[in-house]
Amino acid sequence: MSLHPRAIMMLVTPAVLIGLWWLYTVAFAIPPYLLPPPQAVATELWRLFAGGSIWPHLGHTLGIIAAGFVLGSAGGLALGFVLAKLPAVERLVAPYLLFLQTAPKIALAPLFILWFGLGLTSKIVLTVSLVFFPVMVGTILGLRSLPPMMSELCSILRLTPAQRFFRVELPSAVPEIFSGLKVGAVQATIGAILSEWLSGGTGLGYLMVFAGTTYKAPLLFAMVVVTALLGIAVYQVLVLSEKWLLSWR
Amino acid sequence: MLIEVQGVTKTFVSRGGEQVVALAETTLDVQQGEFLTLIGPSGCGKSTLLRMLAGLVEPTSGRIVWQGTAPARGSEVGFVFQEPVLLPWLSVLDNVRFPLDTFGVDRRAGDEAARQTLELVGLKDFARALPKELSGGMKQRAAIARALVYKPRLVLMDEPFSALDLLTRDRMNDELLAIRAEVGATIVFVTHSVEEAAYLSDRVAVMSARPGQIRTIHTIDLPAPRGEAVKDLPAFHAWLSQLRRDLR
Ligand SMILES: Nc1ncnc2c1ncn2[C@@H]1O[C@H](COP(=O)(O)OP(=O)(O)O)[C@@H](O)[C@H]1O
Ligand SMILES: [Mg+2]
Repeated sequence: MSLHPRAIMMLVTPAVLIGLWWLYTVAFAIPPYLLPPPQAVATELWRLFAGGSIWPHLGHTLGIIAAGFVLGSAGGLALGFVLAKLPAVERLVAPYLLFLQTAPKIALAPLFILWFGLGLTSKIVLTVSLVFFPVMVGTILGLRSLPPMMSELCSILRLTPAQRFFRVELPSAVPEIFSGLKVGAVQATIGAILSEWLSGGTGLGYLMVFAGTTYKAPLLFAMVVVTALLGIAVYQVLVLSEKWLLSWR
Repeated sequence: MLIEVQGVTKTFVSRGGEQVVALAETTLDVQQGEFLTLIGPSGCGKSTLLRMLAGLVEPTSGRIVWQGTAPARGSEVGFVFQEPVLLPWLSVLDNVRFPLDTFGVDRRAGDEAARQTLELVGLKDFARALPKELSGGMKQRAAIARALVYKPRLVLMDEPFSALDLLTRDRMNDELLAIRAEVGATIVFVTHSVEEAAYLSDRVAVMSARPGQIRTIHTIDLPAPRGEAVKDLPAFHAWLSQLRRDLR
């Protein structure tokens, strides 16, 4: 029942916004190359999807997101595990990690292109660098957050290190790891699109740059809509898998 | 006799390098099948003594000698903490079966033992529930079941009911007596409450702080089985006064 007003709001709010947008373009006679009317953007979206020209670009971007997310998460999990287990190593590398973590990765993009070329590799590397840190931090936090009594219980029961890790430490770290994965997924989406801005001739990011430099405002706006929806979709996939994995909460 | 604590001391070295004497020289024996309570102000080393009995902490000096062989596996000692520390992603049944799973007991036998123990603590109907669906008292009963399921030779309880409200606590005390009558376990119990100590125990060791040590040990000669009626006896109230005096 309580969903009802919310569902209505979710339909009404965009409708009102689109209505205002349309009214504004008509009432003030805004030139379409600055702000195209909603119907022009809708037509453009229809052309992209029904005509099928978007699919290779969408596939390219999704591929970079997936590769960057999987590699970055795996690396973040692995290093997070090592650092959580070996505080001495963590103290040693913490300053460097902090430097790398706070360094704006976008500024490193030209460096990645220099090192890894204009192809797919540098795009994936940029995405990995964005995913890696939030996942690593979440993993460390999660593994460290084990209540001391829980750890004593493991000792009382004489669990082997593997039992301790897989049966107790890892499952209790899942909530924090997921916070990291969610941030990582959003970052991966941003990273993939940005990397396509910088080089190459495929991908949603490339289409945006192309639309911008050739003054195709309806295409540009359509791409804004597509990338926003893509970001929401990627995030929702994570939220749903979190709900499923953490149903005990 | 089950365990002899022979001149055991424990000194912790703090971060600043100072030495903290958690437990001064302590000698004590734990009898087979008894309910022994440690009572004393906080910081007097009750938890430290319990941890040493559990083998979690090594004594700085002295020895802890078990009758027969020293516990080689976790299955010799059960520990109930102040908080339930259940694994929140496992059902109550899975939590209680958890120790058996880790010892390599097969699933069928494990389920059987876990169900019996849940029945013993009155949680039979909550086997499939998740910990978050239980009240505080029920969670602690599940924790007790988890400590009993592998029939340890010694059960250690560190202020297990101190986080519960008074009514629940009274009920849990009666249930603990009933469970103990059923399984005949040896229990070493820590509390702040003189009522709890006098009501539950065969013997009470009164401890004092700075340095932590055992001051006296009383044998509580109240009639068994204990029940609400015991709380009206003058002898019960005499014990409360005695323990309060000792703690002062
Ligand atoms: N791991 C530890 N490191 C340093 N000091 C400790 C440690 N554990 C306990 N202590 C100190 O030892 C003393 C006794 O602690 P504890 O056994 O927990 O007391 P109780 O359970 O009676 O309240 C306290 O002063 C406490 O600060
Ligand atoms: Mg204590």
